[in-house]
Amino acid sequence: MLDFIISKYNYWIYIILMMMGFYGMIAKKNLIKKVIGMNIFQTAIILYFISTAAKKGATIPIVEHGHGEAVHAIEYVNPLPHVLMLTAIVVMVSTLGVALAILIMIYRRYNTLEEDEILQVKGK
Amino acid sequence: MIVMIVGAMLIYGTLDMPKWADPNAPAALHVSPRYIEKTLEETATPNVVTSVLADYRGYDTLGETSVIFTAGISCILLLRKKKRENSGGR
Amino acid sequence: MERIISHSPVLIVVIPLISAFLTLVIGLWKKRLCYPFVIIALSLSLFSCIVTLNTVMKSGTIHYYLGNWDPPWGIEYVVDHLNALVLVFVSFISLMVAIYSKESIEQEIPEKVTFFYTVFLLQVTGLLGIVVTGDMFNLYVFLEIASLAGYALIAIGEDGAPLASFRYVVMGTIGACFYLLGVGYLYIMTGSLNMADLTHLLPNLYHSKVIMVAFVFFIVGVAIKMALFPLHAWLPDAYTHAPSAVSALLAPLMTKVGVYVLIRILFTVFRPEFPIKILHATDIMAWFGTFAILFGGIMALSQTDFKRMLCYIIVAEIGYMVGGIGMANATAIKGAIFHIINDMFMAACLFLIAGIVMHETGGHDISDFTGMFRRMPFTAAIFTIGALAVIGVPPTCGFFSKWYLLLGGIQARHWGFVMALLLCTLINVALFFRVIDKGLYVHALEHKLEHASEPKELQFHEAPLSMLIPGFIIAIAIFLIGIFNQAILKNIIEFAVPSGL
Repeated sequence: MLDFIISKYNYWIYIILMMMGFYGMIAKKNLIKKVIGMNIFQTAIILYFISTAAKKGATIPIVEHGHGEAVHAIEYVNPLPHVLMLTAIVVMVSTLGVALAILIMIYRRYNTLEEDEILQVKGK
Repeated sequence: MIVMIVGAMLIYGTLDMPKWADPNAPAALHVSPRYIEKTLEETATPNVVTSVLADYRGYDTLGETSVIFTAGISCILLLRKKKRENSGGR
Repeated sequence: MERIISHSPVLIVVIPLISAFLTLVIGLWKKRLCYPFVIIALSLSLFSCIVTLNTVMKSGTIHYYLGNWDPPWGIEYVVDHLNALVLVFVSFISLMVAIYSKESIEQEIPEKVTFFYTVFLLQVTGLLGIVVTGDMFNLYVFLEIASLAGYALIAIGEDGAPLASFRYVVMGTIGACFYLLGVGYLYIMTGSLNMADLTHLLPNLYHSKVIMVAFVFFIVGVAIKMALFPLHAWLPDAYTHAPSAVSALLAPLMTKVGVYVLIRILFTVFRPEFPIKILHATDIMAWFGTFAILFGGIMALSQTDFKRMLCYIIVAEIGYMVGGIGMANATAIKGAIFHIINDMFMAACLFLIAGIVMHETGGHDISDFTGMFRRMPFTAAIFTIGALAVIGVPPTCGFFSKWYLLLGGIQARHWGFVMALLLCTLINVALFFRVIDKGLYVHALEHKLEHASEPKELQFHEAPLSMLIPGFIIAIAIFLIGIFNQAILKNIIEFAVPSGL
């Protein structure tokens, strides 16, 4: 049982982080808090992916120039999740940028960033 | 409430996953060894991450560049005010 | 020439992408050249799509290796019959909306035309890239391109647009992140990202809990993107307050591409026996489809705004398609695939009409349709054809896809779905007759105008030609698809139905 928890605890930490971000995104009323929750959620997913790349006792995936020696894949960390997550980080930052631009537009129009106040102004 | 359900489902999913930092996990055995072993002969780049990002999966990098471009143009599209007002709004 | 034809799958996506960069440069230099350049780029892309469809029909599935690396180490484009069919129609409709958008955009957002066309082309790139790819992570990248462009395009609309777009941002990001989580869970168990490779690797792992959770996350993520019933909350506000050309582009295409992704994941990546027999997910989907149809129909009846009514009709149409997939027999899936094509044309036609009415009268309420049959007879004719197609009157295309969906429902003995389909047809009749009634409501209006302070006549003020021609072409296409439906079904959709059903 203890062995089970120790070998998998990293995944659980990321899931708790994801749930904190997800809760912020859907339950909070202030629009900035929703954007921050979105950011936390996406960052947690990226951390989860990278944790799948680790290998025990391996080093970073830069191959030294071993002249003619064979390269063993088991000594190097799996590079593919790192690559995918570089792209995902860029996507995350772009989404954050567009979301903040939309928030600026909302602020210019309604002069507040609380969702219930905006809905009140719209309903009038 | 929804958060609990989603979290529980995610944790349920981890029960079967390979252990952390296991060198024999399927994720590390199937596709990646070729990237690491052949990177010097096929791409002449010792940095495996660069060779995967720019050579084997270069198309994803093109897509990622387009994402940045889209976000930039979208911000200009969204924020630029009419010229008669005082600020440019970028 | 041979070489260009062999590269056609990539050209479909690369041409709009490079044109987007070039449009920005050209637009900043001379604003008038943007519009013709966009038309040329989209026509070239449509040409590549037709060439691809031709190649697929002659020689079977195309496997195109990007960068000449074999899959699964490189990215692969797989174009089979389902892909090629959806590609041709996505590029066709985006070309039509681009031709249409000139007048509409110059009226609604006059100072940002260059940037608008750039983001327009990027949106089309994203949609085409989602349909043509064969790699899971590549699909996520193009999904994000299409989503980001969509968020920006919706937010420049009329008064309530930024808030509607923000809600779309939050829900769309949740959907895309759930999709990414699904890809991550699949990757950690199989190590591969290529769709064809996953098809080989997954059957050994069907009993694993990780794969099941991954499947659920895929379905929920795609359901948010395609506005399936409980997760549709972003759709009415977003498509109502967006500019007319943007609604005409996004409403037919974005949700239907989501349905295409659903079919890909359900039946190509996970082989058909997994969702049908092991998980019984298709039963749940059939019920959600039924509820979506009923919900969309009832909410549409209570709207006074024309565009909002159309949005709820789209929610009901997605219910048809998902319910059809949920029936899990070959007839219903043929109906669902054919309905993807039909709904693209029907939604494009109706949103074009809404945009034309907005251009002429400045509003998109049902009361703005008053006297339409006298004032704008051509527009009214196109609207009538679109309305008949949604109701499902032969020989328009809508009848045939509903026919196949009904047959599939009866074959699967799912009486709730059949009842919901028939009920929604009646509701659609009521909805559109209400609008046509307003449109024919000429005599009382003339009476009122005569007795007004200065007597005016009901003027014949038709929409500009560049907005009418795409409408005509789409209306004629609705008829042609209906008349030639057997040809399309036998030659293309037969092969697109996943094997093993």
